[in-house]
This record gives sequence, structure tokens and C-alpha cells, in this order.
Amino acid sequence: MNVPFRPRRCRLPGIAFVAALACAAAPVTAGAMTPVNLGTAQPFVVLAGATATNTGPSVLNGDLGVAPGTALVGFGLPAVVNGATNAANAVAAQAQLDLTTAYDVAAGEAVLPVNDLTGTDLGNRVLKPGAYRFTSSAQLTGPLTLDAEGDPAAQFVFEIASSLTTASASSVVLLNGANPCNVYWQVGSSATLGTTTAFQGNLMALASISLNNGATVIGRVLARNGQVSLINNVLDNTRCNGGTSGSGASSSGAAGGAGGTGGTGTSAAAALKTQANQVSSPRSTITRNGTTSFQRTPHATCTSGFRASVHGRLIRSVAFRVDGKTIERQAKRPFAIFVRSLPGAHTVTAHVTFRDATKAKTLQLGYRACADAVLTPANGPSQFTG
Amino acid sequence: MTRLARIPLALLAVAASALMPAAALAAAPSVPVTQPLVILLGNHVAHASASITARVIEPVAALRPLTKVRTVLPVMGLVTGKDGNRWYHVRLPGRPSGHTGWILADQTIRSSTEWRIVVDVSMRHVEVYRDGLAVRGFSAVVPKATTPTPYGEFFVEEAERIAPHDVGGPYALAISARSDIFQEFEGGPGQIAIHGTDGLSDPLGSAASHGCIRLSPSAMTWLARRIGAGVPVTVER
Repeated sequence: MNVPFRPRRCRLPGIAFVAALACAAAPVTAGAMTPVNLGTAQPFVVLAGATATNTGPSVLNGDLGVAPGTALVGFGLPAVVNGATNAANAVAAQAQLDLTTAYDVAAGEAVLPVNDLTGTDLGNRVLKPGAYRFTSSAQLTGPLTLDAEGDPAAQFVFEIASSLTTASASSVVLLNGANPCNVYWQVGSSATLGTTTAFQGNLMALASISLNNGATVIGRVLARNGQVSLINNVLDNTRCNGGTSGSGASSSGAAGGAGGTGGTGTSAAAALKTQANQVSSPRSTITRNGTTSFQRTPHATCTSGFRASVHGRLIRSVAFRVDGKTIERQAKRPFAIFVRSLPGAHTVTAHVTFRDATKAKTLQLGYRACADAVLTPANGPSQFTG
Repeated sequence: MTRLARIPLALLAVAASALMPAAALAAAPSVPVTQPLVILLGNHVAHASASITARVIEPVAALRPLTKVRTVLPVMGLVTGKDGNRWYHVRLPGRPSGHTGWILADQTIRSSTEWRIVVDVSMRHVEVYRDGLAVRGFSAVVPKATTPTPYGEFFVEEAERIAPHDVGGPYALAISARSDIFQEFEGGPGQIAIHGTDGLSDPLGSAASHGCIRLSPSAMTWLARRIGAGVPVTVER
């Protein structure tokens, strides 16, 4: 859900002409900006024009789509998509149309001359809400801080005529209530996020978008005509969708090492936390304050397995399933099971219901056990051809 | 060996293959790293193509008949049909051996396996691959000429433990192939299996079975602890 845009106003309308002049002369103002609305593209965390490809255990919290292209490659395990998948269908096509509209609105935002950053690096800057322009390519090296000055509806728009590139380990840092859902990157050609870049905002590129190994995005990755390529990335737009996108949060600890050194994953606790709708109406007693996260605690040896546990507020019950088979239903804390390692890639699912009106969520953990995981076949008859 | 450590080896293998004669290349099987699988959460119907109106091939039960484990099928493709349904192209168990069909993606869950078994009948040898790399090889008893095993691409339907008083123990990997010679055998449907030699006297390396592949008890114990339903099995002449 996009936060409704509210123009910033000078708060001293009746005091002094000097003050009014000061407001009018502010170097950066969002007051004149048109709110950018992604429309039906909002649920998408990845939307590609040609193809979307993935390598490795990426996690997508939000919908995945492609149109007019058809190919979605590499989004099975160990990757996890916690959302709907729309390939070359009407949903994806409409999202592309709405993306084009949003892209054009962003590209048309008025930019003050002082906000023309052409030829400069975005790294190590602190920017206020407003529209910024690069008449050629843009580069981010290091941290870029976006300061909303306490206004969560503040909008940031970057109009980049050609490409956007971030160096390895660069980051977009949000300050004083800045909302990644209200940050728009309009890229005239292609965007490339360097290794382990921590990016925030809605990345809208006319051509392609490439995320290098380990880059993360809080927001959306939306390519109008070209492809989106991912390598071991985490992308999350649930903050922009009020937690209603897809099937809820998810955690994937898949991959791990291959061969004999593999295990149930290399991360200590692969967990993504989702904040359920924290909506409480003053006119009723309906609340949606439930929260939940799904975590895995690695065990000492990969042959033993791991502990999968669900934490959060207002949880009524949790039903655990492994590869679709219900293992256990629990109605009181601790909500946890021990998952024995099985060869191959598997999925542990936790269906969580809440004590208030929070919508039930289904969380997933993907895992791939090591080579030494032990199966114990059931007894059976000897009736083969011998 | 870590995945990172394998990359240079893979590159070396590619480079070496460029220099190898064609005959040598043919002798070195190319084994995929992983095999996508689909686990059935309910009974399905296999169709001849990705359409609900396409010819019905057969029903596919959610559970396997011998040990009642969930049915796991190798996936060869995923498409969205004209009616908007998502369909998996899968290998199917039973006759004719190696046949395929399309099932709806509803009531399924995706999985994968990094294991693969290749049976070389002429060499009387079974090679086990993980992540595309050979990890173990076993000498085998293969079928005699009069009762050959079907050749082609199959998969493990279910693994089972054989009771000590029964022949063929200690374990069996029942595979999706069926004998072309026996429509019924020992009360079963002529199902092919990779099983042990308990109670059987033919020496490893001989051609003496009725269609199955026999391995030593230690080999079967090693396999049964690692190979589950859905693992691809290639039977080569």
C-alpha cells in the first residue's frame, strides 16, 4: 500500500513575509510533486518485461511477474517466492501498463535546478524529499541517506536519463520516517546493483535490472522492457503492501554447501520477519496486531536436522508441515518442531493463525540437507522381478 | 568438497572434453546437477497434454502402493495452459516403462533431488551421482539375456526395507519401470527394482536376474539411507 502523499506545507503562514519567502526559497520541496502511483504493479516485488532469471537461494517477498515476455527461470527451490506468480497473463500485462504510467509520472516530476545532480556521485549524500535529476547516468558509491524530516509521506524521485549503477556494498539509508515505498528510481536505460548493495525504493527501469550476488532490495524491482536477473538476493515489498502480499513472510535457508560439507544451511537463523497489519480502528474492537517470524536453529551435525520455530505476537495456533505433510499442530508456546534432515531439497511450512483479526499467514523454510542425511525406509514386500 | 571448489573442476572437465575424442565423450555420461521433483498432495489424473480436456492417460495416486509414502515424480517442464491452469510435465510410474504425462500443479509441492543413479547393464555396474558428480560405484548383478530390464529414464518410486526372511534384502529401491517379459512376478506387477542379494547366490558382476538390478547388502544399505522417492534412474545398455 502506498502511503497517501501529502504535500509539505510551510507551517508559519501568518507570521512574516520573510518566513513565507524562506519557505518559497527552500532548495528542495516536495510540495509541488505529483504522487507516483504504481497501481496494480504494487503487489509485485519483481516485474520483468522480457524474462526474469534467478540463480541461487533468493527470497522474494511479494509477487513475481513477467509481461509481455513469458520466461521465469530459476525461481524453484532453493529460491523462495512468497507471493503470486504471473507470467504473461492479464495481471502482469496490466501491471506493466500501470508501471509505464508511474514511470512517466516520475519522469515528469519538476526538478529544481539545484537538484540536478548530473556528474556527481550519490554516495555519502544526505538528501531531503523532492525530485532529483541526472541528465546522463547515475552512480552510487557508499551510503546515500534520504531524510524525510519526520514526514512518512515524503516522496523522493530520482530521474535518471540513462543507467544507474551501484558499487559493491553501497546502501540507501532512510532517515526520520522516510518510507522506501515512496522512493522512486526512474531509470532511462538499465540498472545494476553491485554485490551486497542494500537498496531501498521502487526501481523502475526502461530496460533491464541486474542484481549482483547478495544485493538486497526493500521495495520493488520493475523492468518495463528488459529482463530482471537475480543472484542470491532478498527482495521485500511487504512493507509497501501492508503485509497482504502473497502468502506472508518466508525464510529460506536453502542452499548450504554442496557435497559432503553441506548441511541444513550456512546461516545461523535464516529468518525474515513480517509485520502483520497493525491496524486498529478507533470505532471498533477489531485489531490486526499479530506478528510472526519463522526461524531455524542449526543443529550441531547436519545429519540430525534443525529446530524450526515460530515467534510472534497474538499467535493462536501453528500447523507445521514438511513437504505438504502435516507434522504437528500446536496451540501453545513454544511453537516449534524438530525437522530431521532428509536428502534433497524440502520445504517446511508453518500455517499461523492469530488471536485477533490478523489474517492467517503461511510461512515457509526451504532447506537442503547434507549428503550424510539418513533415510529409514519403511518395511515392504519383496515382490519384484528379482 | 565444497561447491566453490567444484567450479574449477567443472571448468577443467569442460576444457578436457574439448580435447577428448568422440568415443571418450560418449563414455563419460553427462549428468544433470539437480532434478526438479513434484510431490503429490492428493490424487491426480495424468493427461496427454497440458489441458483438462486432453486424453486421460491414467490416475496417479497420492501414495505409493508398497509403503504408502507420498508419490514423488520427476518434473520435465512447467507450463501454463490456455485455460490458465499450471501443468507439470512429469515422468509416470508403470507401463509402458518410461512414459510421461501432464498433471495439474494444484495439490502439489515442488522439491528437487541432487541424487541420480545410472545403471550400466553392459558393464554390470551402478554409478551414483550427487550434484552431477560420481560419488560411489557398485558392481551389480544384471538381468540375463532372456529377461532383460527396460532401458531408459526412470525414477525411484519408493524405497523399502525387506524383511530378513525374504529374498532381495536388506533394502529395495522400487523404480518406475516394469518388466517387458513378466506382466506379473511373485504377486507383483513385474516391477523392476534395485535390491540386495540376501537369499540370492549369483555373484556380483554376473547376468542372472529376471529384470532387477542386484547390489551387495552393504551397497543397498548405503543407497537406502540416501536415495528417496523421485530420484532419477537411468538404465543404459
